[in-house]
Amino acid sequence: MKTIDFKQLDETLYYEKLANGLDVYILPKKGFSKAFVTFTTKYGSVDRTFIPIGETESVTVPDGIAHFLEHKMFEKEDGDVFQKFSEYGASANAFTSFTRTAYLFSATDHLYKSAETLLNFVQEPYFTEATVNKEKGIIGQEITMYDDQPDWRLYFGTIENMYHTHPVKIDIAGTIESIDGITAEHLYTCYNTFYHPSNMLLFVIGAIDPEEMMAFIKENQAKKTFPNPTPIQRFFDDEPKEVAVKERTLHMDVQKPKLSIGLKAKNTNLSGRAMLKHELSVQIALELIFGRTSAFYERVYENGLVDETYAFDFTLENGFGFAMIGSDTTEPQALEKAIKEELAKYDREVSFDSDGLERIKRKKIGFFLRALNSIEFIANQFTRYSFNDMNLFDVVPVLEELTIADLQQAFTTIQGESQQTVFTILPTEKNTQ
Amino acid sequence: MFKKIPLAEGVHLHIRHTTQFKTVNFSIKWRTALTTQCASERTVLTNVLQHSNAKYPTTAAFRSYLDDLYGTVLYFDTSKRGNEHVVLMNVETVNDQYLADANVLNKVLDVMQTAIFQPNLENGAFKNDIVQREKKMVIQRIESIFDDKARFAQQRLQQILRPDEPASISANGTVEDIQQITAQSLFATYQSMLANDTIDIYVAGDINEEEMVEKLRTVLPFTDRTPAVIPAVLPQQHPQKDYVREQHDMKQGKLHVGFSTPVYFGDADFTKMQVFNGVFGGYPHAKLFMNVREKESLAYYASSIYASHYGLIFVVSGIEPKNEEKALTLIKEQLTAIQAGDISDLELEQTKAMLTNQLKEALDSARGQIEIFDQYKELPEPFTVETWVKKWQAVTKEDIVDMAKQVQLEAVYFLCGKEQSAQ
Repeated sequence: MKTIDFKQLDETLYYEKLANGLDVYILPKKGFSKAFVTFTTKYGSVDRTFIPIGETESVTVPDGIAHFLEHKMFEKEDGDVFQKFSEYGASANAFTSFTRTAYLFSATDHLYKSAETLLNFVQEPYFTEATVNKEKGIIGQEITMYDDQPDWRLYFGTIENMYHTHPVKIDIAGTIESIDGITAEHLYTCYNTFYHPSNMLLFVIGAIDPEEMMAFIKENQAKKTFPNPTPIQRFFDDEPKEVAVKERTLHMDVQKPKLSIGLKAKNTNLSGRAMLKHELSVQIALELIFGRTSAFYERVYENGLVDETYAFDFTLENGFGFAMIGSDTTEPQALEKAIKEELAKYDREVSFDSDGLERIKRKKIGFFLRALNSIEFIANQFTRYSFNDMNLFDVVPVLEELTIADLQQAFTTIQGESQQTVFTILPTEKNTQ
Repeated sequence: MFKKIPLAEGVHLHIRHTTQFKTVNFSIKWRTALTTQCASERTVLTNVLQHSNAKYPTTAAFRSYLDDLYGTVLYFDTSKRGNEHVVLMNVETVNDQYLADANVLNKVLDVMQTAIFQPNLENGAFKNDIVQREKKMVIQRIESIFDDKARFAQQRLQQILRPDEPASISANGTVEDIQQITAQSLFATYQSMLANDTIDIYVAGDINEEEMVEKLRTVLPFTDRTPAVIPAVLPQQHPQKDYVREQHDMKQGKLHVGFSTPVYFGDADFTKMQVFNGVFGGYPHAKLFMNVREKESLAYYASSIYASHYGLIFVVSGIEPKNEEKALTLIKEQLTAIQAGDISDLELEQTKAMLTNQLKEALDSARGQIEIFDQYKELPEPFTVETWVKKWQAVTKEDIVDMAKQVQLEAVYFLCGKEQSAQ
C-alpha cells in the first residue's frame, strides 16, 4: 500500500492497485463519525458502441442502458439491496453520468458489513426478463419526471444543439421507447464488458482505519475470479467542430422564458495535468467575463435581463466539452445579444486582467479548501479526476501556476461564432381554443 | 456541544471549538412571529443586504472583496420553523492556518459587521432603485415555483390543508405584500429586526473561544431586547375541500396527500411518530417505496415527509395520470396495514438504524451541527445523540400502531396534464 502525504492540506491518501486491476484509495478523516464509500465504473451513457468482452465485432446497445443497468444492480434473487443497507443503518445510492456509474453508501456504524454489501452487490449481477420488464415502469416515470423539468430540458436541448453525432446528446436515461428494447442479455453484455475491476475505482473516506480497510477489501476481492483484463474498445463517429443547430425553441408550461447559450469546445482529447490546467483556465476565463464580479453581470443584472437563476458552467470530458451561460429572463433576445456581444469583445483585442486572475485564483483555492470538508465531494471528484488521469490534489498547485497567457490560449477553444448555439424555452401560448 | 454565552438580553452566542473542519462557520439567526407581511419584508431585506453596503456600494465591489478573502461565503436567507420566521446570515471562511495570508479571519469579522450594520442608504432609507429591483427578484423567485411542478403541487397541498396559517405561508412571503414595500418601510423593518428580534449567533471551527467571544462582542454590538412571545402552535383549521385536482401542461401526474397528526416536534410521542414515518415512507426500505415503486412499478419516487412543527405528514409521488386512483388506494393501504399491526421486526430495526445514522451523519458538517443544535436547543433536556438513539430504541410495534391510528387523511391534491385525468 502506497502512502501519499499532502502536508499543506493535512491529509494522507492510501493507494493500492489490486491483482485484479481494481484501484483502491483510502483517505481517513479525523473527527468524522461517518464513512463514505464509492464504487465507480468508467462507464456512462456515452458508451453505447463497443466491442463486448471476449468478442471481436462491435455492437450498439439501446439508449439509456448504463442507467438502466444501475437500477437493476440493486435487485437480487433474494430481494432489494436497499433493504440490507437499511438494516446496517447505511444510506445507499447510485448515479449514472455521461461517463461514469457510481454506487455508494454512507454509514456511521457496521461499516464493514455495508462495505461488503457494496462490493458484493456490484460484483454479482442478477438480471431476468421479468425483473428487467418490471423496471421499465419505474424508469419510465423517472424519464417523464425529467421531461416536465424545464431546466433539464434547457440543459439537454442546448447539448443536442451542439452535437451532430456524439452520444452526449442523448439523455442519460434514454427514452421510454429506447428502454423498452432493453433485455437481460443486453445488461449482461454491458455488465461483463464495463464492470471488470480493471475498469473500476473504489474510494473509501471518513472514519476509517486504512490498513484494516485495505486488508478487508483485498480479502473480499481475492475470493472472486474475473477474466483477464483486456482494454475496452469504444467507438465514436467523427464529430464536426461546429455546432449542429444554431438555434432552437421549445414551448413549455413556464411563467417566464429561459435562455441558454452553449459554447462547444474544440479541444477535447486532453488528459492528465494538461487537462486540469485547461479546465481550470477555461473556468477562470468564464468567471472573469461572466462571473458575479464582472462588468457584464453588473450590467445585465441592473438592467433586469437576468435574475437569481443566472448561471454559467464548463464541462469537459474525453471526446466532448461545452460551456453554458443562461438565465430565466423576460427578454431572451436582448440577453442573447448581450452575451454574444460580450463574447465578441474577446474575439478582438480585449484581454484578461491580471488583478482579476489573482482574485479568482484566491476564490478557487478557498472553494477547494472548503470542499475538503465534504467527504462526498472528495470521493466523487477524486474519481472523476482519476478517470481522466488527473489528480484532485493538484488543483491548488496548478491554480497557482496559471497565467493570463494560459487563460487566453484555453479560451480560444470555446471561441468563435460557429461554436455558439442558443436554446430558448418559451411559455406555452395560453388557451387558443 | 455548543457553549452558550449570553451577549445581551435576548441575544445568545453558541460557540464550539473543533478541529474537524478546514473552515470557520458562522450563522446569525433573527427570529420573529411569522406573517406573510413580515416574511415578505424580510426576504426583500435579505436581498438588499446581500446586494451591497455603505463600504462596498455595488455588488461587484462587495463580492470582489469576499473573493479576495479566499472566496469567503457570506449570504443572507430566510426560512421558517413552526410559527417563527427566521432571517439568517451564514458565513464560511477557510481557516487561516491553510492560507498564505494569516489575517483573513479578522477581515471576515469586519465584513460581517459591515454587512449587518452599515447598509447602503440614501435620505435615511435604503436606496430606492436597489429596493425596487430586489423586490422584482423576490417576486420572480416566488413565481418560479410554478415551473417546478413537484414544488408547486406541494405548495398547493399545504395551502389546501392549512390556508393562511404558518404551515402554508412561504418564508419568501407573497407577491401582493412585496408590492407594498417601500425603501422607507424596509428600513423600518431592518431597524426593528436589529433592535427587537431574538438573536442566536453560532460559531464552529478551530478558533480560540475566549478571543472569539471578545471579538464578537465588538463586531456584533446587539443591545438588550425583550423577545416577543411566539405561540407554539396555532389552532388548526380543517381543509374546506378534501380532494382537489388541477391541470397544468405537463406529462407526469403529481399526487400529494396530506395527513394530520396530533404529535408535534418535542412532544412525548415525537420519537414514536418519527419511527412511524420511517416505516411508512421515510426510507427506501419503507412501505411506500417497497409497494408503490418496487412492487407495483407505479412511480420513480414515493415517500412521506413528517413536518413535525406543523403536525402534518405529506406523501408525495410522481405517477402516470391514469394511475391516480390505484396509487392513492395503495398509499392508503400502507397506512391501514400499519394500523393493523403489519410491521416486521426487520422494518422496525431498519428504521431505527436509519434514524440514528441520519442524525450522526448530519453532525459531520459544521452547518449540520448548527442547524440540529439550533432546533433541539428549545427542548428542556440538553441535546446528545445518545439520548435520541435511546428514545428511538425504546419504540415498540405497539407504539407505531398507536401512532398510525392517530394519523388522519385530510386532503388529496392531484396535478396533471390537460385531459389526462381518468376522471
